[in-house]
This record gives sequence, structure tokens and C-alpha cells, in this order.
Amino acid sequence: MRFACDTGGTFTDLLVEAGDDLRMYKAHTVPGDPAKGVLDALSLAAADRGLDLSALLARGDTFVHGTTHAINAIITGRTARTAFLTTEGHPDTLVLREGGRTGPFDHSVEYPEPYIPRALTFEIVERVDPSGRVTRALDEASALAAIAHLRAQKVEAVAVCLLWSIVNPAHEIRIGELLAQHLPDVPFSLSHALNPTIREYRRASATAIDASLKPLMTRYLGGIEARMREAGFTGRVLVLTSQGGTMEAADLARAPIHAINSGPSMAPIAGKYFAGLEGAQANGEMRDIIVADTGGTTYDVSLVRGGLIPTSRETWIGTPYRGHMTGFPSVDVKSVGAGGGSIAWVDAGGVLHVGPQSAGSVPGPVCYGKGGTEPTVTDACVALGYIDPDYFLGGSIALDREAARKAIETRIGDRLGLDIERAAASILELVTENMVQAIADITVNQGIDAAESVLIGGGGAAGLNSVWIGRRLGCREVNFPEVGAALSAGGALLSDLTAEFRAAFVATSDRFEFGAANAVLASLTAQCAAYAADAGKGALATEISFAFEARYPSQVWDLEVPLPRDRIEPSDLVTMVAAFHAEHRRVFAIDDPDSGIELTGLIARIRCRLRESGLSRLAAGEKPSGSARRRRAYFAGHGWADTVVHRISELTPGLAQAGPALIESPFTTIVVDPAARFRVTASGGVVVTP
Amino acid sequence: MQLKATQLDGAKLAIINNRFEGVARKMANTLLRTGRSGVLNRARDFSCCIVTAGCDLLAAAESLPIHVLSGPDLMARTMLDFHPDLREGDAFLHNSPYHGCSHAADHTLLVPVFDENGVHRFTVLAKAHQADIGNSVPTTYHGAARDVYEEGALIFPAVQVERDFKPIDDFVRMCRMRIRVPDQWWGDFLAMAGAARIGERELQALGRELGWDTLAQFATQWLDYSETLADAAIRKLPSGKTQASSTHDPFPGTPEDGVTITSKVQVFADEGRVEIDLTDNPDCLPSGLNLSEACSRTAALIGVFNSIDPNVPKNAGSFRRIDIKLRENCVAGIPLHPTSCSVATTNIADRVANATQRAFAELGEGVGMAEVGAVIPPAAGVVSGIDPRSGARFINQMFLGFTGGAASAATDGWLTAAHVGNAGLCYQDSIELAELYQPITVRERRLLQDTEGAGRRRGAPAIRVEFGPTEAPFEIGYVSDGNLNGPRGARGGGTGGISQQFRRQRDGTLEPLPACAMVTVAPGETIVSVSCGGGGYGPPQQREPARVAHDVAERWISAERARTVYGAKL
Repeated sequence: MRFACDTGGTFTDLLVEAGDDLRMYKAHTVPGDPAKGVLDALSLAAADRGLDLSALLARGDTFVHGTTHAINAIITGRTARTAFLTTEGHPDTLVLREGGRTGPFDHSVEYPEPYIPRALTFEIVERVDPSGRVTRALDEASALAAIAHLRAQKVEAVAVCLLWSIVNPAHEIRIGELLAQHLPDVPFSLSHALNPTIREYRRASATAIDASLKPLMTRYLGGIEARMREAGFTGRVLVLTSQGGTMEAADLARAPIHAINSGPSMAPIAGKYFAGLEGAQANGEMRDIIVADTGGTTYDVSLVRGGLIPTSRETWIGTPYRGHMTGFPSVDVKSVGAGGGSIAWVDAGGVLHVGPQSAGSVPGPVCYGKGGTEPTVTDACVALGYIDPDYFLGGSIALDREAARKAIETRIGDRLGLDIERAAASILELVTENMVQAIADITVNQGIDAAESVLIGGGGAAGLNSVWIGRRLGCREVNFPEVGAALSAGGALLSDLTAEFRAAFVATSDRFEFGAANAVLASLTAQCAAYAADAGKGALATEISFAFEARYPSQVWDLEVPLPRDRIEPSDLVTMVAAFHAEHRRVFAIDDPDSGIELTGLIARIRCRLRESGLSRLAAGEKPSGSARRRRAYFAGHGWADTVVHRISELTPGLAQAGPALIESPFTTIVVDPAARFRVTASGGVVVTP
Repeated sequence: MQLKATQLDGAKLAIINNRFEGVARKMANTLLRTGRSGVLNRARDFSCCIVTAGCDLLAAAESLPIHVLSGPDLMARTMLDFHPDLREGDAFLHNSPYHGCSHAADHTLLVPVFDENGVHRFTVLAKAHQADIGNSVPTTYHGAARDVYEEGALIFPAVQVERDFKPIDDFVRMCRMRIRVPDQWWGDFLAMAGAARIGERELQALGRELGWDTLAQFATQWLDYSETLADAAIRKLPSGKTQASSTHDPFPGTPEDGVTITSKVQVFADEGRVEIDLTDNPDCLPSGLNLSEACSRTAALIGVFNSIDPNVPKNAGSFRRIDIKLRENCVAGIPLHPTSCSVATTNIADRVANATQRAFAELGEGVGMAEVGAVIPPAAGVVSGIDPRSGARFINQMFLGFTGGAASAATDGWLTAAHVGNAGLCYQDSIELAELYQPITVRERRLLQDTEGAGRRRGAPAIRVEFGPTEAPFEIGYVSDGNLNGPRGARGGGTGGISQQFRRQRDGTLEPLPACAMVTVAPGETIVSVSCGGGGYGPPQQREPARVAHDVAERWISAERARTVYGAKL
């Protein structure tokens, strides 16, 4: 039996898979004690099977866990008291960052504080140049003096990032030895080992974040594992990583930055699987896939391009330029503040806005009747008849439809000169557009043509407008997987054990050092093999893939291109250069075929496959409701329509119908407007042709 | 409220605006990621925007304010004047400060966008500061140039450079013979062309989807809406007439006591209108400091937009509420050929914007801003030479460190503002990338204690950068204003740290360098560059004790300064 659990801000999603029996549960996340939310969800699963918790857990062999604990700790400032050791003369790397700003005329936003205060920044006498030559020897006395300060200031973690340590790490390594010797109980992170990338801010930021999470994540992961063990679990505890794989909990505690995007990174894994089931192919190749995960307050978009999930180092915690860039490779997820709770408002010039303000869960949308007065996207869906006021979250909350209508009328409709229905439809249309722009931003950066892609609608609120998003983007199909409301947990069940090993490797195509490149590749391969023998022991299969990062001379933004094998010979180099030109043309619409290219890094990735087959259908959790019902729903351009309402669990695979239709489950409602068609897939999902 | 049949409602306006902004952003993303020179791809010194067929600025990707507020309109107009027979597939290069461009270094590619019937509907612009433009000396900021001939830039007043979507080779050959490191220039040109063509493609798709007449109707209504918001924002200001001055340091070609710029500001709150009068300023100078018309207008607009509600859209609609009075042959006005405008986007332009926002601050508490620090220090200069690692020539503007952020009524200065016309949009160089791409070594980059303009809200501190060549000499060109006239505070706020520049000789002695110069630096020597801090807002004694304590703890200010300047009891 396998458990996959994703702890989100509001709900803890759990999928339990036993052979071909798959079931979904949702429990409330307990912010002060995330382990409790996990055990609550597991208790629901135990009760569902008539077992006590320990009996259920005793049957489990794997527990895969996604957590927002790390990122929440950063956002709420609960990380360790961390110091920053860096090259003398350059103390302000974390203060200056890389510059850049949004809102140049908005003088209400303060410049962000550095991730580690200047007061806890220490300069070490040493210097290495870009070729790796030591131009100033490490002055150990300066390091020891800094360490004495660290002790005096009761520092709880240390980040070390020296200039050019990626080319010659000797000084960082020596400082690590001194820290281990003189501050044996204080964890530290070294930049060259954690995040070997050029640009000192990105490396320093990742190192600072990683070190600051070590005490906390060690406690958290140890705690959750201990509580699972106490409750009777004897299997393997794995944690989801930002890179879309899983790691042993103990490994993660040693490099906790991997957990920053734990959870959202799984959505594309699930999206790829479900799109694959529906044969999302074109010319024998897998279509590109856009995976959208809609929650109450945020809309997360991720991608699958050519069967691969793109990563990015430009991952921000918080708003770009105002938060912190992790600088650490992560599944590229673009988040915008748009969801069911986004508030609609009309400005002084008579123009409608949706968001960025959100009603959150308190007071929540007007229709919740908990004191919310400003109409939200959810209110618009209630007003238009898309959400059944009596069947929201399976009927656990009764919604006030009249209050939603009234708020839309007085605060939106009257000000825009529109009736309630048109005002509500406009709110949905505008939030749809905001989401489309989020997708456009990430697809242009990753070189994906949205019109040739499949859109996967995940998250509880996806069904409300994903058909329109798909139509607006020109997508052929919008796919709503059966486990869409717990997409990340679904991805967690499907994910492989993965590891990624990177090395900075700077070379130009016209003066390429094959020996050096192959030595680096051999070392990366050896690291993969060691991983396979250790963490990957017992895997069904292992697969190592290679890639290189490159750019045109004097460009600074690298493109990642697959490397066909584990060696580079002169003939391979020709292929690599051609592949780079093609990729540049694909992503940016231009190339410069007469130019050479510059390699900047080499990457090896290992995947250890843990499961034989795909996911089963969800077991029906509800009693049949009898025959299909009908409800009035409003569609822009059509008016009110008597609309059939299906329960998703009662639909027969293969069924295909024209819209309009509303397809409900306890977790979501899929709105199929009159212009769209839908069909029910063998895996229990719904595919809509927008 | 009743709508006319053709009127778009407030929801449709919002949606179509999102689409236009999306197009501009897509252009900008493309340019950033494909540009070849550091000034473009590392520093982000570029802009992308869309103007209507009538040459009104409609939508811009967020970019340096000095680049985009006024200029695109003027350039699009000259494109129409010079080329009445526009065709799909055409593209025009524009960098003429006498015809609407900011300065010669900002190469701008204009692509007219046509509908299916061959009607010109919009023009998209991609503008990027170049690493080199063929000046007589290896810098894009020739502060000492007496005229455009000494400046030496190739000037393109809306010159056709593409036909049927293909570059015209004549112009490419010319540029390759005259622009240093031509492959780098060519890569940047391709990036600009890619961005402009992506904008064209997206707008055509939008026109097909929504209908061109709807887009035209949108443009009309959106500009009216923007004017409405500007009207409402200005009505919140106190009415009144005020003025402030800001003095640029003496440079070659200027009077001995420098150039004092006066901005006369009059707010007609009950009419929702602002007037900025720049006519009472010196005539054009035999120097590269003169402003182009685009920069004169834009600098005044920056001072205004820094002083009103930030949510007012910046486009031709809101500009209708801002009257800017300029005169010909004025250093902050309309230059006449062959006046040089080589440095038009920074030095005098910053003085115009700073004087304007400080004048606003005189109108009342909570209004306006202090002065942002002056530029361009050597750390942001243009460096060139032969790279000893490859034997190849290199040239590029660096962004090793400049701070300068001015305090507003609400917040401390934005640390990495760079200068007022930049507002912090540019990136600052990574030391590692800078050392990899240029044969330089950066010994120090450090923010300096006690250099902030003190105030209830304080300015940014100054920054010191020390850098030098590795194994072969380099040349560095810079135009560092602010050596004498530091960034002044507003409403009782203090002046921020001044800029300075030195050569550290082999024996360690510091030799002061002139403020505007091209300097050759030998191996073993370094340049020490100090950039300005930013001015403070409000009396420092009114700064909250918690903020003062935090500034001391974080070493922004010394305990001594906290006591003597801020009156803190620590």
C-alpha cells in the first residue's frame, strides 16, 4: 500500500493506493502542526477501510510527502538565525541582489531586506579568479575570527559563498572544515557543493536559504517520520522535491532547499501521465502540455515540453524583485494571485479589475456568508449557476446565492452599466484573461506554442473556467483528470526517485576541450551510479540522461539542450551545436547559425522507477444520486440555459456529449459551455474540446 | 450608465488592455533573452512598446522610464513622415535625437503593423541601448563632444533596414564597418528584430480575433480612461505654483559653475492639470549633455509620475493632463542639429526629473520626492580594450554598482535605483559574469556607511566599487555628475553622499580623476568609483526610533550619526 500526501495551505490531500484500489481524502491542514493534518487524513483513510490507524499504516510500504513547511517558514520568518561568510570586499551580494524592480513609480513598497542581515555577514580574506587561480590565499585567521563571532552571536546556521568557488572550491572546503571543527553543532552549507552555478547572488541566495532551513527541516522531517513510525508505519518515507522527484527524508534534511517547491512541482508529472493516457501525440511525438493548478488564491502553471519538464533557476519566493530568488533549479512553475477568492472591483475610471486582492478563506467570498462584502470569482460562479449552493465541497458549506448576486449587482454591474449576469460573466472573463497571461509568460520563456498544446486542469477551482482558458489559447483539448483536485498527490504517486548532478563547465565550440568535458561527464555518471546503488536500490529500472547548458557568445541566459550520450566526441559536438541552434530558434524565434556556442554546464539526471503501472480509477466514495439533474446556468452570448448536471463518478467512460453541461464531484465543478464538447475517458477523467 | 452600441464596457477594456500589455511583455522577454551585449541582456537597458496608427503611446512593457514615456510617439511620427508608402515587412532603424529618439545610443527598431487589407494599424518599437554605436571614442556617452560630428555616432533618422522581413544588406555593411565588435552589434540587432516581429505577429493575431475596429475603439477609450485617472490623481494634489532647481556639475563645455536646471511646476487641481515649464533654462551647450526633445519631455513626465498615484497608466491619454513647455536650442528643450545629445538620457535629464519632483514636494506634505543620485560613475562606464585571453576587442557598458534611490514620503530610497530615469529597472552586474566577460577584476563592491541622505525617510547609501584590468590595459569612459552637487533632500531631508572617482596607482596612492573622462588604466592600477547616495525626505529627527535602531544594527548608519543627525537616544 502506498500513501501520497500533499500538505497545502488549506487542505492536506491524500491518495491511498492498494493494488488497483485508489482513494482520495482531504483533511484540513493544521498550520502549527502539519504532521497532524497528515495523520488526520490517514485516519480518514483508515476509517474508510474500517481499520485503526496503526493497522492501516502497517500495510504501507511507501509514504510520499509534499510539504509547504520550508517555504512557509521563509515567508513567515521562522528560519534559523543564519550567518553569511563571503569574500572580502564583497559583503553586499545579498543586499544588492541582481537589481531589477517592478512598479518603478510605486513608492509605497520598501526595498527588500537581505535574506541574511548585514549584521550577520562576515568577510573572509581570500580570492580566486575566473580561471580558478588563487590570487589571494585564504587567511585562516580571518575565518577563525569570523567563527568566534558566530559563536558569540549564537548563530544557528552558516552559509558560505565565495567568489569563483565553482571553479576552485578549495577555500570553501577549508572553511567548511574549520566550521565543522570549531562549531560542530551548527549546520552549514557550501555554495559550490549545493548550487554550482555562475552568478554569485544566485549561488549565495540558494546557500543562505538552504542553511537557514537546516535546523527546522531536520526537526520537521525527523518529527514526521518519528510520528509515522510511532503510529505503526515501517515503510520508506520519501519527500517531494522542487525538481519533480523524490528524496529520502534524511537526504532532504541535509539539503532542504530541495523542498521549497515540494508539491507544485508534482503537477506536471501528473499532467504528463494523464495527457499521455489520452494519446496527446502529434507526428509521433508527445504534445507539449500546460498544467494549471487552480486553488483559492493562486494559479500555478507548469509545463511539459517534448516529454520533459523544464526547470528554471529564477524561482522567486514572493513577488519577483521584492521577494528572494532561490537561484536553485526547480520545476518552472509560474504563480499568479488569481483564484476563486480573487476580488472583483471597478476603479475610478470605470474599468473592471479582478485581484490581486483575495478574500482568502476568512471572510471568504460573499456567498460564504462569513462577512465578505466584495464579490469574488466564486461569487460570480454561484451567480451564474455554475456552482450548486447546496453541493459546494460535497455539501459541507451552504452558499448564499442571493448575497452573491446582490454584491455583483451593486458593486460591479451598476458601475459598469451591465446586468448581473453580464457583470458576473465579465468577472470570469477577466480572471480567465489574467490566467491566460500567466500561461503566455511561461510558455514564451520556455518556447511552447500554446495552440499546439494540451491543457490540464487541476486543483479544486480548475473546472470553472479552464474550458475558456483552453479556447482562448487555442488548445485542442482540456483534460480534467479524475484526481485533478489532488493533482500534486497524484504526481507524487507516479513520481520516480530522482537525483540531479550538475557541474559548471565553461567551453566554446570552436576551442572545445574534449578530455576535460569527458572527465566531467564521467564524474557525473559516477555520482549517478553511486546514487543508484544507494537510494535507488531495489528500483524497477534506472535511467541516466544528460544535458548541457549553452548560449551564444556573450549571451547570459542559458538554454538547456539534451546530450545524446555520456561522452562528447568531435562528431557529437557538431550535433550539439546544431541542436542548440534549433532550440534557440524554437524558443526565441531567431538563431545565429554562423555563430559558435558556449557551454556553461553539464548535467546528469538519474531516475529510478518505483512503480510498474499507472494509476487506477478512484473508488466511488459517494452514494449514487440517481438520474441526472438539471440546473439553470448562464453562458455569455447564450443567456440562461437549462443545463444538465452530471456526477462525475456516475459517468460512463466513452460517453461523449455536446455542451452545455455541468460535471460535478465533491471537489470540483467542470463547466462545459454550449460551444464545447466533452467525453469521459477510460481513466475516469473528462476531456473537453473547447 | 448607458453604453453606446460601439462602446466597449469596462470589463472589455480591462481584457483588451491585458492583451496589449501581454504583447509588449512578450516582446521584452524575447529581447532580454536573446540580446548579446551585457548592457542589454545583463542590465536590461531596453524597452518595448506599442503606439497607435496615430502615433499615440498605448502600451509598454515595464521598462526604464526615461526610455519610453515620450519618444516612441515622436519616432513613429517621423517614420510616417519620411515613409508615406509603408509596407508590411518593412522595419526602420531610428536613433536620431533630432527626430524623436532619446539619444544616439538607443537604437530603436520600428515595425509598422498592418491589417489584412494593408491598412497601417499600429507600430511596435523595440529600443535597446547599444554596447557601441561607432562614436569617435569607445563610449556611448561622449560627454565632452562639442557637436554631433565630434560625437561621431552614425545617426539613423527612421532609416529603412528591413524589406519583406529581411535585413537590407547595405545598412548592415555600413554598421559592420563602423561599430566596434560588429558581431555583438549584429546579435543585438537580431534580438531587436525578433522582438519587434513577435510583437507584430501577436498584434495581427489579436486584430484577426477581436476585429481591428474593436482594437481602434479600445485605443480611443483606453486613452480617455487613462486621462480620467490622471485627472483624478492630479485633483488630489494641492494647487499651487512652485519651482525647484538642480545643478549639474561643471563638465567640459559647460559654464564654470555647472548647469543649473530649473523646473517650474504649476498644479491646477480643480482642472486636473499640471504644467511644467522648462523654458527658463540655459541654451544648448557645446557638449554631449544636451537633451533631446524626447528626453526633455520624458524627464519632466518622470518627475510628475513620481509625484502622483502610481496606478495612473503612462500613455498618451494621461499625458494630455500634463503640459510641458519647451523651447528650441535649450539644454533641456528641443536641440537643433548639430547639437550633441550623446548623454541625453542621464545627466541633465536626471536634473530635470529631480528638480520637478522636488518642486512637487514643496507643494505639501506627502507629495513629491527627494533627488535620486546623479550618474554615470566609472562603475557604470563603458569599458573597452583587447581581451588578453582571446586577443579579441571588447566593448560594453558595465553595471557594477550604482545606488542613488531617493526617499519618498512613504518609503526609504530604493537601494538600486541607479538614477531617476532608470528607477531601478536595470539589473546590476554579477561580479562573476563581469569578470568572465571582460578582462577585469573587481576588488571591492561595498555600500558605504553614513552616506544616505538623512530624513524621516532616508535616501539610499552610496556604493564604492574598485576594479581594474587583469593583464592588459583597458579604456574606461564615464560622465560622473554629483561630485559637487549631491542628491538634495526634500522637505527638510538631507543631501545624500556625493560621487567620487580615483585611480589607485601601483604604490597604492589615490589620484583624483576628472568627472567626465576617458581613462586608460594599466595592469596593477585600479579605478575607485563612488556613486551618489539618495536624498532624504522630511526632517531626520522625525524618523521613528525603531527605524533608526535598525539602521544602526544593520550598519547603514553609525551610532554617532544616529545621535547627531537623527537625534536618537540609543
